[in-house]
Amino acid sequence: MRTTRTVRSVLVGLLVLGAAGPASAQTAPPTETAPPIEIGGFRLEGYGEAGVRFFGERPTQKESAKFEEYRDINQGLYLQGLWLRFFTPDEKYSGEISGRQWGLQDQEYRLSFERRGLWEAGFEWDQMRHIFSTSAQTLLNETSRGVFVLPNPRPPLSAYNNARGIDEISVRWDTARMFFKFSLSENADLFAEYTRIHKDGEKPFGMAFGSPGGNAFEVLQPIEQTIHDFRLRGTWATERWQLQAAYAMSVFVNDLDFVRADNPCQPTPVPSAPCAAGDIGTTKTFGTVSLPPSNTAHTLSLQGGLNLPLRTRISSNFTYSLRLQNDDFLPQTSTNTLPLTNPSVALPQKSLHGNVQTILFNLNATSRPLPIPVTFTAKYRFYDLIDNSDVVRFQAFVINDQPTVTPGPTFSQRFSYMRQNADLDGRWQIARPLALTLGTAWERWDRPNTREVPESDEFFAKAAVDVTPTDWLMIRATYLPSFRRINRYNTNALAQVEQNAAPGELGQSFLLRKYDESDRDRQRVDLMMQITPTETLTITPTASYKFDDYIASGLQHDASGPGQKGAMFGLQQAASWSAGMDVNWSPVERLTLAAGYVHESTFQKQRSRTRTAAMDDPALDWISDNADTIDTYHASMTARLIPSKLDLRFAGNYSYALGRVETRNPNGAGSALFNSFAGTNSVAARFPAFEDSLLRLEASLRYHFAQAWTASLNYAYEAFRKHDWRTDTINPFVPGNSAIYLGNDLKNYEAHIFGVTVGYSFK
Amino acid sequence: MSVEPRRLLGVIAGAALALGVGIVLGLPFASRAQQPATAPPAAAPPATPAAATASPPEGYVGAETCKGCHEEAFNKFSHTRMGRLFLKQARNPREANACESCHGPGQAHVEAGGGKGKGGLISFAKNDPTPVEKRNAVCLSCHTKGDRLFWQGSAHESRDVACTSCHKLMEDVSPRHQLTRETQIETCGTCHVQKRAQTMRTSHMPLREGKMTCTSCHNPHGTVTPALLKEASLNDTCFRCHAEKRGPFLWNHPPQIESCANCHDPHGSNHENMLKTSKPRLCQQCHVPTQHPTKPYGRDTASLKFVLGQSCLTCHVNIHGSNHPAGFALTR
Repeated sequence: MRTTRTVRSVLVGLLVLGAAGPASAQTAPPTETAPPIEIGGFRLEGYGEAGVRFFGERPTQKESAKFEEYRDINQGLYLQGLWLRFFTPDEKYSGEISGRQWGLQDQEYRLSFERRGLWEAGFEWDQMRHIFSTSAQTLLNETSRGVFVLPNPRPPLSAYNNARGIDEISVRWDTARMFFKFSLSENADLFAEYTRIHKDGEKPFGMAFGSPGGNAFEVLQPIEQTIHDFRLRGTWATERWQLQAAYAMSVFVNDLDFVRADNPCQPTPVPSAPCAAGDIGTTKTFGTVSLPPSNTAHTLSLQGGLNLPLRTRISSNFTYSLRLQNDDFLPQTSTNTLPLTNPSVALPQKSLHGNVQTILFNLNATSRPLPIPVTFTAKYRFYDLIDNSDVVRFQAFVINDQPTVTPGPTFSQRFSYMRQNADLDGRWQIARPLALTLGTAWERWDRPNTREVPESDEFFAKAAVDVTPTDWLMIRATYLPSFRRINRYNTNALAQVEQNAAPGELGQSFLLRKYDESDRDRQRVDLMMQITPTETLTITPTASYKFDDYIASGLQHDASGPGQKGAMFGLQQAASWSAGMDVNWSPVERLTLAAGYVHESTFQKQRSRTRTAAMDDPALDWISDNADTIDTYHASMTARLIPSKLDLRFAGNYSYALGRVETRNPNGAGSALFNSFAGTNSVAARFPAFEDSLLRLEASLRYHFAQAWTASLNYAYEAFRKHDWRTDTINPFVPGNSAIYLGNDLKNYEAHIFGVTVGYSFK
Repeated sequence: MSVEPRRLLGVIAGAALALGVGIVLGLPFASRAQQPATAPPAAAPPATPAAATASPPEGYVGAETCKGCHEEAFNKFSHTRMGRLFLKQARNPREANACESCHGPGQAHVEAGGGKGKGGLISFAKNDPTPVEKRNAVCLSCHTKGDRLFWQGSAHESRDVACTSCHKLMEDVSPRHQLTRETQIETCGTCHVQKRAQTMRTSHMPLREGKMTCTSCHNPHGTVTPALLKEASLNDTCFRCHAEKRGPFLWNHPPQIESCANCHDPHGSNHENMLKTSKPRLCQQCHVPTQHPTKPYGRDTASLKFVLGQSCLTCHVNIHGSNHPAGFALTR
């Protein structure tokens, strides 16, 4: 019944021929205009469009999280767009005011002034709201910013399913930007820019209590953050050489230091189940989690280019950046008196003295020195991140606000690294329609002794072909294989540096190879064609394929001793491919058609093992095949039914994604150990697939009248569908599970939006 | 070093604004090296562009001659940013050549009676026989500085992508930047079809809502960072808006220090928070210790705590780094 009603509404809407005009870009002003307006020596031109919008079917408050994730779609009067330009008749001075979504949560404005060819100044304001949830529930009560309390005595965990709903969990971004450009001369420019991003709101946040694997609580993270970004750039350019110097300062200010939330299991609720035993009868009545500290970054860069003889050009860049952070530490715990009574958990210092420097150096050269059309390109890039922050030694530590002290020491290690890249290739225009590029490249990572792999080298080969055999056919194909090799993989790297842990004590399996550090063979192919059999028809087929094979190098396959036999753990293979086509066609001057389809598929295979300190048997190995397939369609039609009088537009987008997590035990059959774990979460189980789809249809009929006026009827239909076992029926309390969630679920929705607008343009 | 940003920033912002306002108000009629060849008319709008009052150099015919045959294109061009500059406020003789500053001297074309391919002009059309390098050189003769400094040898330049593949100068199609399509996504998506499709994924940054564009992160004209990213590294590009992840932190998550793309797909994903794979599987690709992360989990009661909600991040909430003394496991 609902489907029939929906289809009927869609058909009616399409027949009515509305269009909620594309929500993204401000549309360019129409060409048919009224006579020019002149005020005080300035001419004016512009356009405005406003109207009324109403919903045939509107998502409910609970359904609106995905519908208005980054938007604000109101019912009633709205300003679709306004653009005004004022200028002196000789165009020497001009200014511009523009905006859209005025008065709504996602409104944006722009104001700029210009002395043509000399300077330009402007101001921009942009608001955006990111909604995370409109279906969450919680018993928490925020007594002050970031401090959440629960009722006392603690309610049974099942009571959380009757908690009050949270209308909206969202963060509002307010971005203000000012800029100034000045041409000192034909060769020299100055540019200054200041951007302020203020974020205010909440987002879902977790909090753990008790020992590892104890109960957990999903709370809210308050957001009151501001980013100040100031940039200055000077450029001096001649036909032969260019030089640019820039300075940027970014300051992040967090007005809040922590989130505090009561422990739902302490004091003991009645009944206490299923609170974990370790979380009951202790003094950790609340937990405190730190929020990101304020920090500052300064960046200086100098770059330039020089044209040399033999059609050679050299360009180079040097950038130095300094990141600083020195917020005061919170105490190890605020829940109990440990910091006062046990000196081992006293803070060894007040703050981190955070200091990270980065150095970037680039040198690029291109040359066409030969009489034949061959271009050589060489590049070298050096990036060094040096973490000079203190390595803080904690004599002992507190886990998750427990009243007990775990002896250390533990050290806050630093993770500097260096990355180098070099590229060399030659492009030969063999004949006018054919160009061949061959090249090689190298990437090197140097990491500190706190990481598993001190050195890795990746070698690339490159072959690319650009073919234009005819005016109407272009083919670009690229093949890019690469091979990454590491010098050694030291699972115990961190333990050896800290010298306080026996090999393997930190627990990582010796069979693990982390994918960002392991040997890897990669194959990559990209193909793009552009077919234009006529001037008005363009067909663009594209395809790409990437395959990563993570190689188990350096593993010991010793059958004796636990953990020393078996295949590599971690990511084994990752593959992705996509294929699609775009078509743009104007069969007649008054009609434009466009359509496209893209299929994407990704696959990852990973391997792991259920293991403990005392049990490490290949019978409990598991493999997970994680696959995603996504199909995206789009189509549009724009027709000038009556030239300069009546325009019709249809557009549609549809995207469908399917995700699968299929896990299995490859070695379990026949194993007594494996059988002893049957039915527990130590043996593999296949996750149900999860899917989502988004459909958007738009229609618009625009009528031009009285030289400068337009009237339009707009219609849009949107439908979002999701099936995900992890959220479809989630409640804050899931029986048998000691974690309490917000119960956030992005609900399915349908929306029918109608609009009538009137626009006026003048020039 | 303790940070007192507000006061310092107030001073800097105020100084910058004062400087900008001072320049604006104090130098409106600053004499410059290249003033227009003739003084602009005092009152009535000029019947012809200022530059046209001077005779065009040898081999050139002047914009008015071009307009005689190409009136529609001329009128559209005159309303563009470049058109207004070239036709009304040319700063030097080259700009004063207007149409011919890009297309080349038009005398031969006129004497040949006009028409496609006549007179050796550069049409910048897709089927123009002029090599792309030569067409681009015309644009680069003025637009080398700024964002185009690293154009030569860049990914687009090395594949013979013409400036006019993305930019349309003869009329306004997009609100800004003279693009060939109405929006950046449509322009870039002409070739990067898959990336455009990714904007439709459920977990995404607000590109399709118009709050971000491709150039929020990329500079298609060439940069010193792989993937044409604007800042010194991928992470620095992300930190422009997500500075709360910049640190440095007391306790770190090393793959996050090296690259946000180790875990996230910035173009969009069908997994939460634009992750490449769902949790807990993503975390289990690098964590196989002797504690709880090694179990495969499922739909049984004991597994749900590690799968539902924030999954691993319900406990390890400060996954990007923690500044808490007790945050060595990123739980505080």
